Amino acid sequence: MPPPQDPLYAGLGQAVRIGTELLAALIVGGGLGWAVDTYLFGTIPWGLVIGLVFGLAAGMRSAYRSAQRWQNPPTDVDKQG
Amino acid sequence: MEESPLHQFELHPWIPMSIGGVDISINKAVVFMWVVIAVASVCMVMAGSSRKLVPGKLQSLAEMMVEFIRNMILETMGKDGMRFFPLVATLFVFILFSNYIGLIPGTYTVTSQIIVTAVFSFLVYGISLVVGFSLHGVKFLGILVPPGTPGWLVPLMIPIEIISQIARPISLAVRLFANMTAGHVMLAVLFGLTVGGGVLIGWLPFVFTVAIYGLEFGIAFIQAYIFTILTCVYLGDAFHLHGHEEHAH
Repeated sequence: MPPPQDPLYAGLGQAVRIGTELLAALIVGGGLGWAVDTYLFGTIPWGLVIGLVFGLAAGMRSAYRSAQRWQNPPTDVDKQG
Repeated sequence: MEESPLHQFELHPWIPMSIGGVDISINKAVVFMWVVIAVASVCMVMAGSSRKLVPGKLQSLAEMMVEFIRNMILETMGKDGMRFFPLVATLFVFILFSNYIGLIPGTYTVTSQIIVTAVFSFLVYGISLVVGFSLHGVKFLGILVPPGTPGWLVPLMIPIEIISQIARPISLAVRLFANMTAGHVMLAVLFGLTVGGGVLIGWLPFVFTVAIYGLEFGIAFIQAYIFTILTCVYLGDAFHLHGHEEHAH
């Protein structure tokens, strides 16, 4: 079992994590937008477009947040507020 | 050689069964889930049975693992998080063992079924919601507005945060499933090339098969680790709403 402090494994783990976070948020955003279009208002493609934009923003935000957590140990982040 | 690289993931009922129209047939995945549970339990019980002061190989491995999980929880959730130790440790051990057992040729990787990983991730996310609402009540909805957000940004931040919250269990499930599936597909393709390539060129994909197989050992651990650490992070977010404001220590 590789030790958790190993920088290679920590880095690999972080890279894999951020990649999926970006993609998942984009898919959820687009999917919600598309669902609103199709089942609620019939305004295709506007809900999809707005949903994708929000999804992209959400993905960026969670990627940014996990990168931040990586740089400073969680206690420092909490102190900054 | 003509076999599809996805063939290994197909499940056929071994013992067909159904209760009230719900298919609960015993198939390869179910059997290997039992195998994983059995192997993990036997290993852990054996490791814990001797309890020597100077641990043997198995015992020191188990101690390392427990210490590792404990550190993960302490780093992400603090001391209060230790009450989640049984959940976190169970998830870690099950995923780790199923990833590693799946690497033995001829076995089945339970975590390459998205339903398995999805059940785990939605369970974790559900628990984090329950914990959050029971600890903080309605104030838990404040998780949708990160601290320090200017007032005019709030209407924009709420949809963004809702999406990123929904994306959490999905990315958790898809990441583990996709990594395990992709690794095994890659191995199957490369090994198919080795068999089809003959002696002259077949050695090249064979070298890659061996190399990727080695890499998969690392991936198996990393994916178990990521799933567990994110479990801790999500539970910790629900636990300490906006950092350590309310549970300062």
